[in-house]
Amino acid sequence: MKNKIYIFVVEDEPEVLDAIVRDLEEFENIFPIEMADSAEECRELIDALINAGNEIGLILCDQVLPGQNGVDLLVEMQNDPATEHTRKVLITGQAGLDETVRAINEADLKHYIAKPWEKSDLVETTRKFMTDYVLERTENPMEYMSVLDGQRIADYIRKEKGLTDN
Amino acid sequence: MTKIKTTGLFLGITGFCIPLLFNFPGLSLAGHLAMSIFLMAAVFWMFETIPIYSTSILVIFSQVLLLSTEGIIDYSGIAGYDPLPYTRFIGTLANPIIILFLGGFVLADASVKYDFDKNLTRILLSPFGNRTSTIILGLMAVTAALSAFMSNTATTAMMITVIIPIIAKMDPADPARIGIALSVPFAANIGGIATPIGTPPNAVVIAALNQQGLTVAFGSWMLYALPLAIVMLIVAWQVLLRLHPPATEMVSLDLDSKLQTSPHALLLYITFGATVLLWVTEGIHGIKSSIVALLPVVVLTLSSAFSKQDIRKLPWEVLWLIAGGIALGISMETTGLASWLVGGIAWGSLSSLMVLVVFGAVALIMSNFLSNTVTASLLIPLALTLVTSGALEGVFGMLMVGLVIALSASFAMILPISTPPNAIAESTGVLKTKHMLLSGSIIGIIGLTLILLMSVFYWPNII
Repeated sequence: MKNKIYIFVVEDEPEVLDAIVRDLEEFENIFPIEMADSAEECRELIDALINAGNEIGLILCDQVLPGQNGVDLLVEMQNDPATEHTRKVLITGQAGLDETVRAINEADLKHYIAKPWEKSDLVETTRKFMTDYVLERTENPMEYMSVLDGQRIADYIRKEKGLTDN
Repeated sequence: MTKIKTTGLFLGITGFCIPLLFNFPGLSLAGHLAMSIFLMAAVFWMFETIPIYSTSILVIFSQVLLLSTEGIIDYSGIAGYDPLPYTRFIGTLANPIIILFLGGFVLADASVKYDFDKNLTRILLSPFGNRTSTIILGLMAVTAALSAFMSNTATTAMMITVIIPIIAKMDPADPARIGIALSVPFAANIGGIATPIGTPPNAVVIAALNQQGLTVAFGSWMLYALPLAIVMLIVAWQVLLRLHPPATEMVSLDLDSKLQTSPHALLLYITFGATVLLWVTEGIHGIKSSIVALLPVVVLTLSSAFSKQDIRKLPWEVLWLIAGGIALGISMETTGLASWLVGGIAWGSLSSLMVLVVFGAVALIMSNFLSNTVTASLLIPLALTLVTSGALEGVFGMLMVGLVIALSASFAMILPISTPPNAIAESTGVLKTKHMLLSGSIIGIIGLTLILLMSVFYWPNII
């Protein structure tokens, strides 16, 4: 089995979690979506997936979670080489300024989505960051072209010559 | 390692050993060793056990080791082979055709660096208006024109960035989306035949003809192949229009272009124009195209328009791939292996047209599954030997069979694996393999037929 690049959604309210995952279903064929309702569960799942040779491309994380909060989880992931390159997005209604600043400075937070979100915004954000991820981290970004930003991936092939005439 | 690669590794090593274990009557010791190298290379190229350019490097290494005067075998007391200096084998890396390609690569990469390819495309597309069918023709014409001078793959990648916004605005049920997505790789494959530097199989064939003392000028190649490219472009356009008729009459095309005007960019435009002009007029001034090819390399590097980093990013592995193909041909010819191989078949009973039919069909079928360059590298040494066996007539026969092999190899486009441009188009997710299979098969069969018609009615009159 070929290893996969996962998208993670961490959210403690089941209806919200479902809504996010539903909005992202167009990516599911290529990038399996994993769900967790707490930071602890998320970390266990991530460890299991990474041990099986998979990668985490993107995490969309709520700030307020039972137990450890979202920013702590993102900072921890940033300090772990296996998830350092994972694109990190906060999706929340009530993160304070301090927490958000910490997420940017210490977790290399890429984006902040405020609740309630627009589906198109969520989809475009996911597309952009997953495209960033595959261009930076994979050998053959072409495989993911159909659900990502095809123009950017084609331009990458044009400039970096990952593919040449044979 | 996948199962296929492991099978390839096993078969390749077995292939290498067969000529060492068995004695083939009539074949010299060097011929046996050349056969070992040939079988190993053929299997590795087919199964892609190792990257295809690595196989090429391995070929050159094995030849130096086993077939050169500096190698491990002392041929002084052995009849049937006059060993070549090792420089003949490593020298393939500086073969004139490799230098020609190097010049082409520098021009192409500099064009990408200054977005000349993208902006030129937009300028060239503007006269084609807004009708869906003529826009498809426009896309194909521009793709083919660029891919005649740049790599087919880079041209396709660039054109995909142009067509994605067009396709995105169309009704998802409009069949023309599939037509447009197929038009680009098909036109890139077809455009590659138009010039010697259009695509690597042309290089392998021209280099092999050179070894026979037959030089093919840049303009002459265009005279032989360009008319076919134009006709095939129209054929492919019509095939795609009929299979995927546009549901909407008009499509919108956003053609904002702004040619860069920095001094480096301007220098590139002038160099590009001057080089191409000197290439196509080789017949008038007599300066060889591979010498002209040094012009862009010199001008663009001395002016720093093309930097050290840019030089590092050139697709060097393609040059290795071509060099290995040329080297394989050299050892097959000089050791007598090629004539021994074709000697077993009664080619004399075939008409020369039948010989062309056989090589054209085999090239077309093989390169649908293998790299086009590999197909040409494996077939051309065998084909050229047929001249000595009398099945083809002299210089003229060699040129004809060379053209047939190179052009047929480029018309293979039925699957995503057939050529990298096809692979890119398939990756967009707009089309399915079955669409490519159907239109690609029709185009391949018409293409082969036209090549054979040209070998009867066109080339004999102009060569």
